[in-house]
Amino acid sequence: MKRRTLLASALVLTAGLFAAPAFAAFPEKPVTVICPWTAGGGTDVLLRALSKEAEKFLGQTINVVNQTGGAGAIGHNAIRTARPDGYTVGMITFELNSLPPQGLVPFTWKDFDPLMRINSDPAALTVKADAPYSTVRGFMDYAKAHPGEITIGNSAPGSVWHIAAGLAAEKTGVTVKHVPFDGAQPAVTALVGGHIKAVAVSVAEVRSQVQAKNLKILGVMSSERDKIFPDVPTFKEQGVDVQFYTWRGLALPKGVPAANKAKILDAYKKAFETKDFQEFAAKASLNLSYQDSAEFAKFLDQNFKDVSAVMKNLGLAKK
Amino acid sequence: MEFNWELMFTSYAAVFTPSILFMICVGTVAGIVIGALPGLTATMGVALLVPLTFGRAPLESLSMLMGIYCGAMYGGAISAILIRTPGTPAAAATVLEGYPMAKRGEAGRAMAMALFASFFGGVVGALIMTFASPFISSVALEFGPVEYFGLAIFGLSVIISISGRSLIKGMMSAFFGLLICTTGFDPISGYPRYTFGIVEMMEGPPFIPTLIGLFAVSEVFNEVQKIGGAQQIMAKLDQYLPSWADIKYCFKELCRSSIIGTVIGAIPGAGGDIAAFISYGEAKRASKNPERYGHGEIEGLAASECANNSCSGGAMIPLLSLGVPGDAVTAVLLGAFVIQGLQPGPMLYKEHIDLVYQIFASMMLAQFAMQFIGMAGIQLFARVIMVDRAILTPAIFVLSCVGAFAMRANVFDVYCTLFFGILGYVMMRYDYPLSPILLALILGPMAESNLRRALVISGGDFSILFSRPIAVTLMVLAVISLVMAIRGHQKVEAKLAEQEKLFNEVTQE
Repeated sequence: MKRRTLLASALVLTAGLFAAPAFAAFPEKPVTVICPWTAGGGTDVLLRALSKEAEKFLGQTINVVNQTGGAGAIGHNAIRTARPDGYTVGMITFELNSLPPQGLVPFTWKDFDPLMRINSDPAALTVKADAPYSTVRGFMDYAKAHPGEITIGNSAPGSVWHIAAGLAAEKTGVTVKHVPFDGAQPAVTALVGGHIKAVAVSVAEVRSQVQAKNLKILGVMSSERDKIFPDVPTFKEQGVDVQFYTWRGLALPKGVPAANKAKILDAYKKAFETKDFQEFAAKASLNLSYQDSAEFAKFLDQNFKDVSAVMKNLGLAKK
Repeated sequence: MEFNWELMFTSYAAVFTPSILFMICVGTVAGIVIGALPGLTATMGVALLVPLTFGRAPLESLSMLMGIYCGAMYGGAISAILIRTPGTPAAAATVLEGYPMAKRGEAGRAMAMALFASFFGGVVGALIMTFASPFISSVALEFGPVEYFGLAIFGLSVIISISGRSLIKGMMSAFFGLLICTTGFDPISGYPRYTFGIVEMMEGPPFIPTLIGLFAVSEVFNEVQKIGGAQQIMAKLDQYLPSWADIKYCFKELCRSSIIGTVIGAIPGAGGDIAAFISYGEAKRASKNPERYGHGEIEGLAASECANNSCSGGAMIPLLSLGVPGDAVTAVLLGAFVIQGLQPGPMLYKEHIDLVYQIFASMMLAQFAMQFIGMAGIQLFARVIMVDRAILTPAIFVLSCVGAFAMRANVFDVYCTLFFGILGYVMMRYDYPLSPILLALILGPMAESNLRRALVISGGDFSILFSRPIAVTLMVLAVISLVMAIRGHQKVEAKLAEQEKLFNEVTQE
């Protein structure tokens, strides 16, 4: 009996010795955040700005690691397969929902543990400032009257903006030519130079050229008007019911202990609310739209269904 | 946009403060080191240091980034000359003449010239940026898919100049390069080609690891074969500046290359790597001694180094005046501006013209910082070549693998480096030139995606290729350059054959 208590207390003691720091002191070493996109790009800059704030609340260094390639597939896979101890967090982006329908990755968002949504940027249909149309309807009518003339640039084949443009064209029943570029920036440049007729990328990506009066936005594909350009009506206001966003959020690999997850979430949520981060987002014209884990998971589910359906209609999905 | 002299002087005064000069120097030192390390490029250097600038004043942070940008462009030449590893892709053409010079014991001479050529190109680029921005930026917008296709074809015509002795073997290398470019996502339909289901192959051969493999690792294998024999290269290390004779000899090329570099830099999407190769090809074509190219001709070294540095000034032009980045580094810089609450483009000229001039000034000062810091470093760096090969060679091998891994933290890239290292070694053994592969890797995707894009726009009608004056001009230039290069090649062959005959006669006697 005595021996058993001794053994038990010894067990409890050792368990306490090992377990206590693991629970109480998480995180006891630097946390890694995987970014599936290149250093210096929009996603990376956002993640670094947010992580810099989160460090203060987490009490540990947060290292941003860029694991790029395969149109985001490599980074997302690295997040999914990371050790689920809370020391690896990842940034997930829209491509997590567009890669699976194309049959390019063997996983979906359901293989991740969504943490929070950070931002969602709607697509905006943008044309040259001197174009003969100034509404979405006008543009579509012009496209109908001049078949084969309208070219819409996007950031890559099967990318979020390709799907957005395809969706808008499909809803209005016009045929346009989609011209994929190597990123949104070159597409916008080509539009300014008059090599294509329109782009359907985010407001942030066309902002400077619109402010310089080289380009004009015909409509945004969101439920509300844009904060920077409140004069631009939404697609819905113009009678074309299209809403399309890109989004970014944080996720963990499946199986992270709840206590650790809560700590990470808490640090990032506080970071999200700091004045510095909010100011940064305003400067970078990012449309912040926080969602907690449960809401984010619901959003991901709906978004995945929508994206898969559109991609199937556009012929981008794997049959 | 009127040029404002008064503003220029006040902006130089604003930059000439201890804190800004300090930031430029810090940036330049960091840039040279980053550039010299294979796998760390100017783009990465700027990207990694951008977060450090979050809390700083715009001029402070931008002047540091200018320093990194300029420093890294030169830094790439250091490893290109000394260990045959272009530290950045822009230094790939520098290897062709720089490494043979170093092997001949002229590392000091090559480094001094590379530094001076970088400085010269950088200054000319910065001058053109200061005085001709509005004019050049209007040309940059004219470049659409058709024009890019023309530019890529023109660039590919340089292949003859870098083919070495056998044109057929050069062509075979080039076509092999174009073939491996077709792996990965189809640029228009998004369909993955020849990936064998490997996710890492979806974006084609990773450029930096391929570059390191082809040049550095293949040379490591080559050296391993020779280890054992006394293999120490004695280098004369008494030069900080190129000799007056060298400068005079290269002066025409420096002028030509700095202008080519600036113009190519200003075209969005075409960066230092393309600029350096085109300048190198032009230099060889115009040279009186084309047979010396490939064996350590200082003029070719000057041309490529000068072009990649002047390219930086050129790339800033569309960034500042149009908000359109001219190359990969300026694309990252665009982000740095935005974080500062500044939106490059026409509005920047209207609202923050003082800052625009200060950026011109800090770019110019970064060139001087690079020249002085570079001079201080030459002796230190050039000593590398004198390290015993039995120690140096394995060190290069490790550095190559780490560099390949560093790009995107992926082991696949290390395998890729090893594969191309073995391939490069075999090709060298059988006298197949490696540079055409590289040129094809740089220009192949540009040619393919823009041709396809043009055809999407025209609905499959090929006549679009001949409908635009700039594109037609570029393609005509490509044909001319091709014909002249082939004729030049024949002349070189004739000259070499004569020399060999003479040599044989002398040795027989």
